[in-house]
Amino acid sequence: MSEPLADGVGVARAHHFESVAQQREAATLGIWAWLITELLLFAALFLVALITRIQHPEATVAAAKHLKFWIGATNTVVLICSSLTMSMAIEFSRMGWQRAMVRAMLATAALGGLFLVLKGYEYYADWAEHMMPFLSDRPFALAETPAARLFVNLYYVATLLHALHLFTGITLLLGMTWMAARAGFLARHQNWIEVYGLYWHFIDLVWILAFPILYVVNR
Amino acid sequence: MSASGSVGGTARREPHAPESTIGRKSDYLHAESTLRSWFLTTDHKRIAILYLASITGFFVIGALAAGVVRLALIVPNGAIMTNDTYNKAFTIHGVVMVWFFLIPSIPATFGNFLIPLMIGARDLAFPKLNLTSWYVFMAGALFTLVSVVLGGVDTGWTFYAPLSTAFSNTWVLPALIGVTIVGFSSILTGLNFVVTIHTMRAPGMTWFKLPIFVWAHYATSLIFLLATPVITTALILLIAERAFHIGVFDPAYGGDPVLFQHLFWFYSHPAVYIMVLPGMGVISEIVPAFAQKKLFGYRFVAYASIGLASVTFFVWGHHMFVNGQSDLASLVFSALSFAVAVPSAVKVYNWTATIHKGALRLDTPMLYAMGYIGLFVLGGLTGLYLATLAINQHIHATYFVVAHFHYIMVGGTVLAFLGGLHFWWPKFTGRMYSEPWGRVSALLIFLGFNVTFFPQFILGYLGMPRRYATYPAEFQLLNVLSSAGATILAAGYLFPMLYLVYSLWFGRKAPANPWNAKGLEWETSSPPPTHNFLSPPEVPRIPYDYPIQAQEARDQHG
Repeated sequence: MSEPLADGVGVARAHHFESVAQQREAATLGIWAWLITELLLFAALFLVALITRIQHPEATVAAAKHLKFWIGATNTVVLICSSLTMSMAIEFSRMGWQRAMVRAMLATAALGGLFLVLKGYEYYADWAEHMMPFLSDRPFALAETPAARLFVNLYYVATLLHALHLFTGITLLLGMTWMAARAGFLARHQNWIEVYGLYWHFIDLVWILAFPILYVVNR
Repeated sequence: MSASGSVGGTARREPHAPESTIGRKSDYLHAESTLRSWFLTTDHKRIAILYLASITGFFVIGALAAGVVRLALIVPNGAIMTNDTYNKAFTIHGVVMVWFFLIPSIPATFGNFLIPLMIGARDLAFPKLNLTSWYVFMAGALFTLVSVVLGGVDTGWTFYAPLSTAFSNTWVLPALIGVTIVGFSSILTGLNFVVTIHTMRAPGMTWFKLPIFVWAHYATSLIFLLATPVITTALILLIAERAFHIGVFDPAYGGDPVLFQHLFWFYSHPAVYIMVLPGMGVISEIVPAFAQKKLFGYRFVAYASIGLASVTFFVWGHHMFVNGQSDLASLVFSALSFAVAVPSAVKVYNWTATIHKGALRLDTPMLYAMGYIGLFVLGGLTGLYLATLAINQHIHATYFVVAHFHYIMVGGTVLAFLGGLHFWWPKFTGRMYSEPWGRVSALLIFLGFNVTFFPQFILGYLGMPRRYATYPAEFQLLNVLSSAGATILAAGYLFPMLYLVYSLWFGRKAPANPWNAKGLEWETSSPPPTHNFLSPPEVPRIPYDYPIQAQEARDQHG
């Protein structure tokens, strides 16, 4: 990409880079490196969940059947739709359609919010079902085997960690939308949208991995 | 645009500079002098100095705790302090030294300062992220130290579950949270280095012209990126279990304590190479400079860095030989652990071959480097003992292990750190340190280190277990010897702190290249200007282009 245009689409060169191309390359490599670390953060949890399933298939399947499949499935669709709107925002930013881009970003944030609301309802349903083995004042109602407890505990840690990422992602997205709505943003920081878009797709991707591992396998 | 950008606009502004700035030095140390200019700086060199000051503070805390441990072990019956105090002292020593000194030491200080200079860049790729990582580091480290102020932790630096989640009644939670936070600082630093080395190299600076220091930091950064997230997961699970009884490790909650060991050592064995690889990078710069000779087998040393970083991911199970894992797993981990010796030995052979027939100058950095090579060889060879299944059964969790990892981690990191500190001190500060005092300190540290830790090999072989406050009376002589060595070591550490600080004000002014060394960092002034180079540096034809190399080439061809 070339140097920024007065009102067009581009990136303003920071003082320590030789060229805009170098700056873009650094930003892209940086976010990918970060996403690898994020993936590994979740990978350890998913690996443990899978090994628990392999070693104790009956207990984990019994516990997994109590997860709210339809809420999980709906949330998967919701996140895939949010990835679509985020991709649209990136396309609009490339074309310089600032207003459409802002709307697509707001739609993305709204879908992310919907996910969190559904997830919250799911936790409430879990709580009502006495499915929280770590609450000493509410006896755990599922099969009382160590493997079942371990699996359910991993489910909470993994989904809470994902929800935390989603919450952070929505906050960042709203902050960026606020900045991106101002005049001249796309001429200076178009690549912020691209870089952020990768992060959003990653949050989606983690859920797409979590959903089959926790809800679907052996169902 | 880019031509005027390369001098940072200073040249354009100078004719109209306000009265107060005329005659002021323009190097990075003196460009601005307010506190704000230090604590909000995005200059990689100033951030390196921030790290240097903070990790020196943590080193002092860790060293004092080590002093307490050695004091307690002078008598066999635990008469000097209670078991509880002893446990807390060795935990503080381990936690502070490993997490807040050894891991960030060379990467965060020398790496931050030197990588952009060595590759001819103006800064790291993400300067603000770099500053953020220092704040994250400080926040995490201070959070952990809160637990010490409140009353201490007694789990050891490894935080093994279920001791750390269910049984310890000390301040485990703030310590865990602090260490988790510090992990993010490592990740951000590693990420910044990887991106910088990939994208910010000066024109002509190809991968195989990079100094080994840069290669070593590249390999280290990969470990930061690939291993640290896993320990973050492990620590998050520990925190969840201790705080909310979300059981993953405690069998009482359905968990598996061995799982913690897998997650912990999957990071913590590679972490050994986070500590050692940068040290190897430092040694690979010092040895050619003080032998005035091209580094022998440059490509092999570079490959060995990546090789070590790779192999180290497959050996974590050697920490678990006696925890009941399958014999097959133990065999595989044992064999893979032996493989670590190959790239390590490649490096040692290349350093010795570089020294061979070199024009040796035994200045302070070189004394440290030679001490490093000796200690690393001994630490590495005893690592083979530990990787051997049958011998491991005998010496597992004894002082043999303690001696081994101190030879690797102190011999391999602290000596390289001090060697590098003396080597680049003129570049960092623009001042020369006192050479005689430097040599005295290097010799004292080598002597003190060996008197402290060599007896521990014997103690461990005779069967003294680690982490106990008391021991059978027949081990007292060797323990007193070890504690006496620690006093010599302490003196050796104290001297540099005094004469280096003294040199800041009274040291001789340093030239740009006091050692006649090669590498782009020596082409700029000492200390460097804010944007590193006043004119774009010229990338050398080959790395380590020392004159003797040219002489040898003439000899071979003529």
